[in-house]
Amino acid sequence: MTLKGLDKLRMLFAQEAEQRLARLGQLVLELERRPLDDLGEAIAEIFREVHTLKGSAAVVGFEDIGRYAHGVEEKLGQLRSGSVLPTAPIVDALLVAVDRLGSMINESVAGADVDDGANAAALDALDVAFLVALAPASIPAVALAAAGAAEGPSPLPPPPLAPPVPRSDPSPAAALDPAADAVPATPAPAPVVAREAAGTVMVPVERLDELVRMVGEAAGANLRVGRVLTERLGVDAVDVLEFTELSRVLNDLQECAMRTRMVPVSTITDSLQRAVRDAARSLGKDVRWEVRGEDTELDREVLHKLSDSLLHLVRNAVDHGVDTPEERAIAGKPAQAVVRLHAMQLGSEVIIAITDDGGGVDLPRVRAQGARLGLDVDAMNDDEAMQLIFASGFSTATFVSDISGRGVGLDAVRSSVEAARGRVEVRSTPGLGGEFRVIVPITLAVLRCLLVEASGQRFALPLHRVDLAQAAATTSLLHAEGQPMIDVGGRPVPVSDLAEVLGVPSTRVGAGTFVVVTGAAGRAAFTVDALVGQRDVVVKGLSPLVPRLEVVAGTSIEPDGSILLVLDPPGLIERARRGGGRTARAVAAPVAARTRNGRLLVVDDALTVRELQRSILERAGFDVTVAGDGVEAMALLGAGEYELVLTDVEMPRMDGFALTEQIRAHPSLRNVAVLILTSLASDSDRLRGMEAGADGYIVKSAFDERGLLAAVDRLVGTTT
Amino acid sequence: MTLSALIFPIGDDHYAVAADTVREVVSEPRPTRLPTVPAVVLGAFNLRGEVVPMFDAGALLGVGPLVEGPFAIVVTTAMGPAGIVVAGLPRVVDLGEQLGPSDLRGTLGIYGIEGGVAVLVDVEALLLPYSNLDASAVTAAAEGRAAR
Repeated sequence: MTLKGLDKLRMLFAQEAEQRLARLGQLVLELERRPLDDLGEAIAEIFREVHTLKGSAAVVGFEDIGRYAHGVEEKLGQLRSGSVLPTAPIVDALLVAVDRLGSMINESVAGADVDDGANAAALDALDVAFLVALAPASIPAVALAAAGAAEGPSPLPPPPLAPPVPRSDPSPAAALDPAADAVPATPAPAPVVAREAAGTVMVPVERLDELVRMVGEAAGANLRVGRVLTERLGVDAVDVLEFTELSRVLNDLQECAMRTRMVPVSTITDSLQRAVRDAARSLGKDVRWEVRGEDTELDREVLHKLSDSLLHLVRNAVDHGVDTPEERAIAGKPAQAVVRLHAMQLGSEVIIAITDDGGGVDLPRVRAQGARLGLDVDAMNDDEAMQLIFASGFSTATFVSDISGRGVGLDAVRSSVEAARGRVEVRSTPGLGGEFRVIVPITLAVLRCLLVEASGQRFALPLHRVDLAQAAATTSLLHAEGQPMIDVGGRPVPVSDLAEVLGVPSTRVGAGTFVVVTGAAGRAAFTVDALVGQRDVVVKGLSPLVPRLEVVAGTSIEPDGSILLVLDPPGLIERARRGGGRTARAVAAPVAARTRNGRLLVVDDALTVRELQRSILERAGFDVTVAGDGVEAMALLGAGEYELVLTDVEMPRMDGFALTEQIRAHPSLRNVAVLILTSLASDSDRLRGMEAGADGYIVKSAFDERGLLAAVDRLVGTTT
Repeated sequence: MTLSALIFPIGDDHYAVAADTVREVVSEPRPTRLPTVPAVVLGAFNLRGEVVPMFDAGALLGVGPLVEGPFAIVVTTAMGPAGIVVAGLPRVVDLGEQLGPSDLRGTLGIYGIEGGVAVLVDVEALLLPYSNLDASAVTAAAEGRAAR
């Protein structure tokens, strides 16, 4: 989306939020005024308002707000179920939470950073208020101290050592008036300094990066000096003691400089442990957390990129991996489950394995889900079927839900691991447990590459994306769907000429070599003139003055001063797929290649979401009408013909489930497809949607343009 | 106050860039070509360890592509250095009076110089439409600043 488009949406969101917050404030106050037996409606409306805000915030990319709203929503659930009564402290805490939501929205729309500390404090205040309300007399201090459960994935570095007041102060007196001390005292930004041991200096990362870069330059210059010695003076540089000594020192220096950016895995294990404990507590599971190899070091940037994924994987392990106490008893396992993180260095890679001793991946269920998504699961062996859990759209449809529905799916885990130039593998033994292995390079500063030649120019392909290379002369070509393919491990992989994809003239004589690379959407082979070798290259980004090039990941300066282009395999695959008007393969059909028509009805009470969907779908060629709730939608459906209804669940007057049921019950609307789009992600919600007669289900937190269009395309006939 | 500028020829005409934006002039630039770029981007070259993109001044101005030139003027922009390939050795002159406005995109006016006129070019404005400054880059830059 363009900046302008997103900005516009965010402005819409701000307007919408202002109204909703005002209404929320009134509703919360009403809780105190009304008699206890007449609160149901007000609570339901509060819940709906917060829920809608959460969805809208997620759609415009304000994840902090979404997370925060989710935390509040969880608490509201307790009010709604009646397990907690809206006492004065709770109303206080809710008001503070509403205020905090308001200021977060203002901060975010203005482009400022959201103050995580203040969010945590406001949520803590809610937590404490609810805990006190639940069982004021009997709460042991430990339980209260552990109360900060709902505050979303902690960002790196780990939360400040001194938590906001209520968490460490279990006295109900402090808890009863959370607004007074916990919240308005805006906590200072995380005081990282406190953790610094004696003899340690804090250095801005940019300065370290600069150091690493300059050492790299020096090493390159040194190589060039060596060439000058050989070429101009006729001296073999290796024989010059001073030269070899300088080379050695520069090598050591380079390694030392790299090490300055390294941090041990233990810097994030605290927050992972907390996530495990919180998830286990909320699910009623008894889980022990074990860490091995926490001293393993890796690049700070790599670890940072991985932290959310690891957080997701450990939550996933507790939620989906670990079996229930009953299941464990039946299987004869110890009552306490184990979730373990094991980190180790292997060559230039670090492996971080998250293991659980639960039931393993439920393969039949994965297959069933794959079949529901229209994949040919019968043709897949178990390994391939297992990989489906990483497929984009898989988590959005069902199967992997975060324990609290707020997280990312495994496809997002895979893409963020890939962004750190790594890969993620899954292993599972039915009944005995599962393991996710995240394998990443120790550093992002150097990239191990395969050097190839095409059209007389050298190119580097990141080695972590390269599956294999084989001489073309010894490989037989297949043909399918109008394009050449080769057989790789029993699977057809499309072949393109690298020079052709790069738009340069091919100068190859002879058959060349196939290099098979992997991207998010699958594999592809590229023909190159020759393989040149392997090398660690220091990658530099291309100047922002040049348009973004999907096929180029970066550049590197060769020892001889020339520029080496580092290619980006996913971009290459994408470009090859589009090139030559070839038919794309079934699983990853490019959405953009179609022209669409058809009348759609978008039903959502949130203006932001509605307008976002409208703009995406209209751009794709659909004729879109919008409605604010189920009642309005039914009126529109009665007046005109629509092929598909895309509806939210939580809406005033008539919700999405009821709307779906009405559409199904209506004789003339029976053929209208219904796609439910919601931020509810639990299995029971999904089931309810299907029972109501919906044709598909998209979870909003994983909502993106592609996913939406793919889902709509599946249901509405498109013309190609 | 007179403006010091580098004058360079393209075809029969003269163009000028303000001297205070010029970092250096490189002779016989040999850019490494970049795949899938628009024709105005000739490639990138190594300027003492920095990867500098190189543009075709003629194509940028819309007065006919040069593709190759014996010299490149390296200018400093807010988004880093950029080289523009020009058809002849630039010379430094003081611009005279502004004689009138200019029509070409990215130009700032027609100025008198000794023996003729030159069109003053705003290189940054010329390059902006080709740059990678979409939403994500702007956001990333803003975040980068905020982080610092």
